[in-house]
Amino acid sequence: MEQVNPTRMELLKKRAQIRLAEQGRDLLREKMDALIREFFKIMDTVSDSREKLELVAETAQRSLIVALAVDDSVALKSASFATRKGFTLDIRGKNVMGVPVPVIEKKRLSRSIFERGYSIIGVSGRIDEVAEKYEAELDLVVELAETETSLKRLGGELQMTRRRVNALEQVLIPDLKRQEKYIETTIDEREREDLFRLKKVKKIIQRKKIAPQSRDRT
Amino acid sequence: MIRVDYGYMNARIRGMKGRLLNRDALERLINKPDVEGVMVELQRTSYREEIEKASVRFSGMSCIETAVRNDFTSAFRKILGHVHGEDAEKYIRILLNRWDVQNIKTILRGKNIHAPAPEIMDCLVPAGELDEVTLAELVKQPDVKSVIDLLATWRIPYAQPLTRSFKEYFERQDLPVLEYALDRFSFDHALEMVKGDAYDNQILRLMIMAEIDVTNLKTVLKLIRDRAPADEAGQYLLKGGISLDLAKLQSLVRTGSIEAAVKQLKGTPYEFLGKVPAEVFIQEKISVIEKELDKYLIKKGVSQFFKDPLSIALAVGYLWAKYNEVTNIRIIARCKTADISEKELREELLYV
Repeated sequence: MEQVNPTRMELLKKRAQIRLAEQGRDLLREKMDALIREFFKIMDTVSDSREKLELVAETAQRSLIVALAVDDSVALKSASFATRKGFTLDIRGKNVMGVPVPVIEKKRLSRSIFERGYSIIGVSGRIDEVAEKYEAELDLVVELAETETSLKRLGGELQMTRRRVNALEQVLIPDLKRQEKYIETTIDEREREDLFRLKKVKKIIQRKKIAPQSRDRT
Repeated sequence: MIRVDYGYMNARIRGMKGRLLNRDALERLINKPDVEGVMVELQRTSYREEIEKASVRFSGMSCIETAVRNDFTSAFRKILGHVHGEDAEKYIRILLNRWDVQNIKTILRGKNIHAPAPEIMDCLVPAGELDEVTLAELVKQPDVKSVIDLLATWRIPYAQPLTRSFKEYFERQDLPVLEYALDRFSFDHALEMVKGDAYDNQILRLMIMAEIDVTNLKTVLKLIRDRAPADEAGQYLLKGGISLDLAKLQSLVRTGSIEAAVKQLKGTPYEFLGKVPAEVFIQEKISVIEKELDKYLIKKGVSQFFKDPLSIALAVGYLWAKYNEVTNIRIIARCKTADISEKELREELLYV
């Protein structure tokens, strides 16, 4: 045990520390409950979107294979030159129980055949289908980016809060309680010693008082 | 004008046709368990030389794709060599022009986004009039304008529509403006070249007109699916079809649904589209309908083999048969790499 002064002052300090630690633990537990509620709420939408994404990705992959097979990879790559465009997304942030989570602007990235940058006369419907399905996949990826990042951050915060609660519950509070007990025991011991010492002194004084009287009598 | 020695050309093309893969050979390819098996099987066919050449640089699917593409290109170059200097050369060049259009479009698309030259070169198929050296020179140009200028300097006909539409492209920064001009010109130019009553002209004209019909039908399907206004349809449609004129095509767009448009094709050569499963119309899966149209065109092209042997018909038939063959090989190989079942593979095949 670390060096602790077994004084009444120290005891009062330790009791205040224990009260504060227990208050902190209760607050963190409440935060954890709120984070768990928020986490599961987002997790439902994430698992739905994930399943949808897997389905869309599978059909997109299938369309790509068919287009590569029938139209040749060079035709597909040539069309991809025309459709190659960047896009910007507006990302803001919001606070969920003190955790900063991103809010990505809901923007539809799917385009009509007239917006893809190639003439519709010379590009097959198979290539159009590939573009359409991958654009749909991109829409879902952007949607998932927001929810998955939120989930990751909430998960991280949840883990950190859990560790804090554990540290308070398993280490700090028991330590402080042990110290409180030690101080109490030491103070009690000291009081008992003092009492014993006082009684002893009283006895000596009484004995000294009795001794001169008996000498005078003789 | 030099008289065409169709007897010689006929013999050579028949020889080349004899080397095309028959049903049994395709069945053997389908039965192979993986893409390596397909490659080994192809080495037992006329693709052996190209497979060996391609295997130096590539392996697996890329090797097959490159070999098949090179074989396709060299077959056309061979035919061009047989008719060099003769009147038939003009007809063969018309047939091969589609690759020139595709290559020019690829170069323009690449230059529009400043793609690196090697990346653009990888996407070119020098099967047309513009050979590899010419295409490489075009790819070296720094921007879209320079490519068009170089085409004009070399007096290549495709420079005309591009030069005419460049101003609009420049103002709107919209590449499809150039592509539409090129597409329209390529079909108009081809029809212009086969004017007249000569038998060869008639054969080619009917094929080109059928192709215009099929291209227009595909465009109509896309316009309907994307709910494009019917009065705007005209700018995306080509003139010169055999069975469907612009008024008919616009009326198809006006129906507003793919099923209704297909119903309106009754009485035309395309009424077979009515047999397409109903769910295709509901899901608006136009790739399935396009496949039927492609099959129709291939069948029509391949059927030219049965026309006058001393005409350009044989070359037309061969080109379509070769196109069908390379597409089928590619489908088989791709399906093998993606572990697609044999049943689904057979569904994807174009026309065997």
